[in-house]
Amino acid sequence: MSTLDRKLLREFRATWIRLMAIISIIAVGVAVYVELSSVYNNISLTKDEYYAQCKMADFSVELKKAPLTEIDQVIEDFPQVTEFRSRIHFFATVDLDGVSDLLNGEVLSLPDEDSAVVNDIVLERGSYFTGQRDNEVIIHDAFARYHNLRPGTWIHLILNNRRQELFVVGTALSSEFVYLLGPGAVTPDPKHFGVFYLKRSFAEDVYDFRGAANQVIGRLSPPVRDRPDALLQLLDNRLSTYGVYGTTPARDQLSNRFLTEEIEGIATFSNILPFIFLSVAALVLNIMMTRWTEQQRTIVGVLKALGYSDLQVGWHFLKLGLMIGFVGGVVGAVLGFVLAEFVTSIYAQFYEFPELTNRPYPSAMLVGMGISLACALAGAAYGARKVLKLRPAEAMRPKPPAAGGAILLERFTKLWKQFGFSSRLVLRSVFRNRFRTLAGLFAAMMGTCILITGFMMQASIVMLIDFQFRLVQRSDRDLVFKDEQPIDALYEIRHLPGVDWAEPVLDVSCTFRNGPYSHRSGIQGIVTSSVLTLPRDEAGNRLRVPTSGLLMSRRLAEILHVKPGGYVEIEPTRGDRRVRKTQVVAVADGYLGLSTYADFEFLNSFIGEENTLTGATLSVSRSPREVRELDRELKRLPGVQSTTARQDSIDNLTETVIETQSILIYLLIGFAGVIFFGSVLNSSLINLAERAPEAATFRVLGYGPWEVGMLYLRESMVVNLVGTVLGIPLGYLLSVAMTEAYGTDLFRIPVVITNAIVIKTLLLSVFFALAAHMFVQRSIHKMDWLAALKVKE
Amino acid sequence: MTTPEERDSTSLPTATRKEVLLQLSGVGRTYQMGEVSVEVLRDVTLDIYRRELLVLVGPSGSGKTTLLNIIGGLDRATNGSVLFEREDLSTMNGRALTKYRRQIVGFVFQFYNLVPNLTARENVMVATEISREPMDVADALALVGLEHRIEHFPSQMSGGEQQRVSIARALAKNPDLLLCDEPTGALDFDTGKRVLELLSRTARELNKTVIIITHNTAIGELADRVIRLRSGEVVEVKENAHPKSAEEIVW
Repeated sequence: MSTLDRKLLREFRATWIRLMAIISIIAVGVAVYVELSSVYNNISLTKDEYYAQCKMADFSVELKKAPLTEIDQVIEDFPQVTEFRSRIHFFATVDLDGVSDLLNGEVLSLPDEDSAVVNDIVLERGSYFTGQRDNEVIIHDAFARYHNLRPGTWIHLILNNRRQELFVVGTALSSEFVYLLGPGAVTPDPKHFGVFYLKRSFAEDVYDFRGAANQVIGRLSPPVRDRPDALLQLLDNRLSTYGVYGTTPARDQLSNRFLTEEIEGIATFSNILPFIFLSVAALVLNIMMTRWTEQQRTIVGVLKALGYSDLQVGWHFLKLGLMIGFVGGVVGAVLGFVLAEFVTSIYAQFYEFPELTNRPYPSAMLVGMGISLACALAGAAYGARKVLKLRPAEAMRPKPPAAGGAILLERFTKLWKQFGFSSRLVLRSVFRNRFRTLAGLFAAMMGTCILITGFMMQASIVMLIDFQFRLVQRSDRDLVFKDEQPIDALYEIRHLPGVDWAEPVLDVSCTFRNGPYSHRSGIQGIVTSSVLTLPRDEAGNRLRVPTSGLLMSRRLAEILHVKPGGYVEIEPTRGDRRVRKTQVVAVADGYLGLSTYADFEFLNSFIGEENTLTGATLSVSRSPREVRELDRELKRLPGVQSTTARQDSIDNLTETVIETQSILIYLLIGFAGVIFFGSVLNSSLINLAERAPEAATFRVLGYGPWEVGMLYLRESMVVNLVGTVLGIPLGYLLSVAMTEAYGTDLFRIPVVITNAIVIKTLLLSVFFALAAHMFVQRSIHKMDWLAALKVKE
Repeated sequence: MTTPEERDSTSLPTATRKEVLLQLSGVGRTYQMGEVSVEVLRDVTLDIYRRELLVLVGPSGSGKTTLLNIIGGLDRATNGSVLFEREDLSTMNGRALTKYRRQIVGFVFQFYNLVPNLTARENVMVATEISREPMDVADALALVGLEHRIEHFPSQMSGGEQQRVSIARALAKNPDLLLCDEPTGALDFDTGKRVLELLSRTARELNKTVIIITHNTAIGELADRVIRLRSGEVVEVKENAHPKSAEEIVW
């Protein structure tokens, strides 16, 4: 080790607190980068492997009922379809012994004999179907685990209006249900919704589907895979005789879409967050370097006088940056790996893969290290350049005293006179050290951005739940029928025990078109006098469903580029499927799905029906006993495909999303704390070192250490608070940008900022600054102020 | 019998063997301070010989340090030329100037300018690590009488000791030219004398050119030549036929 390196090492030791502060900011930046890119890789690689393993379908066609032979013939004409499977697909009510909750499931047929098929399953426990019984079932693993259903137990499902006893042979996962959502749900709810695989032969029997299917799933050859729409349109036309409800390309497949959008969201985050930390780190480091090299002016001069070249002296100083970058990078990579492990385990709770584990990605770590080194070097080089440019003779002369002129504020004499001497001191220092002040402001702004984003995320979900489940959907139970039902079904329901009120619902899925813009979605027909579904605008005001025309969700109106008063073309998938125009009367706000409302009667006549319904919404009695009885009845009700309880949806969202989010928010608060703390600590310590004689003079004059400390605290607090206040609107904008990036057709995140968020942010900012000041105060206490008086800078 | 050359080297005092090391002609230095330009050095013409002890005297602000800096390659002349081995320091590029400082010059400063968190040995090593033919670090420190303080940090040494470390640092590089800016300025009388003694021995016994800046005229009695500066100009060049030893001078 060269002698100069030894000098460096001793200097590290002497300034370790400041170095640690900078290193932690860098480390957090690298960690966030490594974490997010690892999680990104974990999920997208696992997804690709899993999709390949299960032969994930590229499309599906929903049919009313078609003979297998006909389907085979049609598909034969499409050589682009490399592989396909026709299956039976229904929803069912699940009846488990001793469970009073309403449970639903998706029922799918699988070949009687195990073979590699499109949308295959991965067995977790037990076995595939055996030859011993017809009524065997393989259950979605999460549901089975939740209800403790092991292979070998019997369960009951209401299949085609008949309560069937089924023998569990195994539990499994499939790539089409990585993110398993029940009808109308936004988060997986394995407690209330599962998937049930039946033997094809058995399904044919119970559903009366001998030699027929109602869903075709298939894989496409590579070029068509990315642009399947034209092909799907042709397929739709060819199969239309069998009643095509719709075709779904993989990109619209619910689970795949949530998964893909989540992966894209992670990518967005991994671009923004590390940038915040690393830019703050570079700035703070830059300031530290400026100070450090200036302090060593004379040594720079001496080294040059001794014959060290500019390059050698520069390299000497850059080594500090290099060391910081290196240590920050290593710590960050390790921390990032640990965080990735943790976050991946959270994802594994929501996204079901056979195995979603964290793997180390050397490339992500190397890139993180590289970014860290580059940022530290840039900060160091920029900070050191001024002193290095000096001629040795100049460098050895003491630094000319800093310009001590009046600051701009002093021109406003009246105002200036209002300030006491200590305020003036603080203000002068703030304005004279402009660069340091700006860096402090920037750091506080970035820290605030992170806090605000985190708090807003949390508030958004609370607001979303409140808006959706307390203001818009006010029903206690939502029923979906297997087929369209006549209005009598509603009257029947109204007479069930425990039902206070019931309203009919007609759901029609359709394609909306407006010129070049089109979108597949649906219309919900509700009665105009509805009290259980209350569409609202953003401010929460009730909107009435028009007697004719549509009340469209804002997001869908944006997609279709249509304004209230404009017209859209509609092609329904049930009833009269002719394309017709209708008016968008008003726009409603909602955060889940693209709900578009129409009057129940209007929609009925639109599809050429009269008084048919596909579901019902219920408000129920307050008596728990009556409700239990009702739920029992509902499970046995013929024609009911699924029943959901609003409270279950709320509980599920609260338990899963909000609780997970809280953990992530604590992490974000910690990260923001690192920024606030590091920045305040560094600039205060530098300030203190630079003005040591001043501080010493105050001590001589009879000031106590705390009083001296207050002067520095006030300065850092002013900068920190101004930065925080400036950061609030910035954080708001960042949140808006991120919700835009994260927002999907399925899930729109409201932007919520409340006084509580602002106050929490301000308090945390003050808290972190105070914490940093404790270290500064320690230095003031330890300061040898008599020596400081004598020292020449 | 001795050859004429041998006789030369033994019988003649070193200073009289006029072998030019540096040739300054018309050297001037002007500083631009905002809108005013200040002429700190004007038309200095001077030959500096090998193996001589030269003392620069003059009141503060007379341009002594500027001249020393120019001679040492720390600063550049704005007028005139400073020739070293037929090359002009004032037009040399940065790299050549660095090489000149590294190989030819040793500096001793008034405030020692030691690196505070390096020991005496390490401070000397800072210089030896970049020189071509350095002295042994322990020898250099022994030369200044600090062999027993070798592992001490500057803060653990007296001013005189620190100055001796800084001389050892300068000597350890084996320079041709030793430049000392007020080397005794921060020292008490006895310590100062010991340092001066060391510097004159350096010139006489180690055959170096030593230039000492001082505003203490008594120190001039040590020198082979005394150059007096006033307001940036050379006003007097006095040759000492019989320089005194540091022991003999008093101030």
